[in-house]
Amino acid sequence: MNLGGIHLTRVGGGAMLAEPSRALDLSDTAFVLEAILAQLHKHRADRLYYDLADVPVIDTVHYAWLESLARACRAINVRMICIHMQPTAAFGLATFLQDPPSFDTALDMEAR
Amino acid sequence: MLKNVTQAKNSLIEQLKLQVGHISNRIEAQGQAVFGEGNVLSTDEITDLSVQFLELMVMLLDTENPLDSQQPAFRALKTFFGNISKQIVARGGRMEDFVRYMQFLQRCFIESLGQDEKVAPEEMRAILLLLSSVFNELLLAVFQTYLEEKERTIEAQQRELRETSTPITEIWDGVLTLPIIGTLDSSRTLLIMEALLNRIAQERASAVVMDVTGVHTVDSQVSHHMIQMVRAIQLMGATAILTGIRPEIARAMTSLNIDLGNVTTRATLSDGLKEAFRLLGVHVSRAA
Repeated sequence: MNLGGIHLTRVGGGAMLAEPSRALDLSDTAFVLEAILAQLHKHRADRLYYDLADVPVIDTVHYAWLESLARACRAINVRMICIHMQPTAAFGLATFLQDPPSFDTALDMEAR
Repeated sequence: MLKNVTQAKNSLIEQLKLQVGHISNRIEAQGQAVFGEGNVLSTDEITDLSVQFLELMVMLLDTENPLDSQQPAFRALKTFFGNISKQIVARGGRMEDFVRYMQFLQRCFIESLGQDEKVAPEEMRAILLLLSSVFNELLLAVFQTYLEEKERTIEAQQRELRETSTPITEIWDGVLTLPIIGTLDSSRTLLIMEALLNRIAQERASAVVMDVTGVHTVDSQVSHHMIQMVRAIQLMGATAILTGIRPEIARAMTSLNIDLGNVTTRATLSDGLKEAFRLLGVHVSRAA
């Protein structure tokens, strides 16, 4: 299902996969966030894999979105795991992060 | 002044036409003596060099103002000498020999003029000025090329040294090791991080063991870089294991208020490898 720029898929075993596209508007994510949480609720998911394969750079705005989604997921007892983070994105993010992020990270879905 | 230059270049062209064979033979013989014996240039290359030089020199003298260093003919001559000097340096020749050879080329022209009794002293002065101006510019161009080449070589050597001083090795499927030796400054950290993160993505590595036994001193900058590297590895989804932290470094980190709470640390590289294997579920034991 497509939720305002994020494609959400059930991948089995209580997990869902979120794949953001260019259509995701980071300046107004309230609707997308609620829609994702509703779907996670509906499918009784306990993990959300957020695919960052097509995101070469994560700036502060993008990071704030990931943080808010991860915290919202935690509020409904869902663990958010960012996968496929690009070296460029990890490199940039590591230079401005002060604390560990609210989400977990993994190479891919098989890794964790 | 321009009149003098015009007179001088016309006289030079005339001299070149009259004595081209003699001048060409002399510079070829000198080239052979300087570059041929050490196998810096082959016989054919030396012949080409003298022919091309004379052609380019005539082209330059044929222009309206041979002293204009921006005109195509002058630039062609500069490029020609620049390329030859690069070739000589690349083949192990001495720059000093090449500069002396260029001085010899200039002397050849001057000596050929001295043999012509028709050249008036004033005209001779103008020719000498023209020649020295042209050759000074050429020498500067050659020197600049030489310096640029040297700088490029030094940069390449430094790059190579940086790369070899931080060898990232895949010691097991999905386990990378990185021994860090020396000081971690910003530029080196950037280089290591770039190479390391790309290797994690490429090898799909799950664990990275960073050994800092070779790091002797640590200040807030170095420890900040180490934490940054660990964080970047974690963001990629791999586990970073820091090993070999010396007691004095551990003490320095404590006094700098560096928190390694989120970092997996082990005393030695072998302990770090054991931890990496444990994470991967790999069991290594002695053969019975």
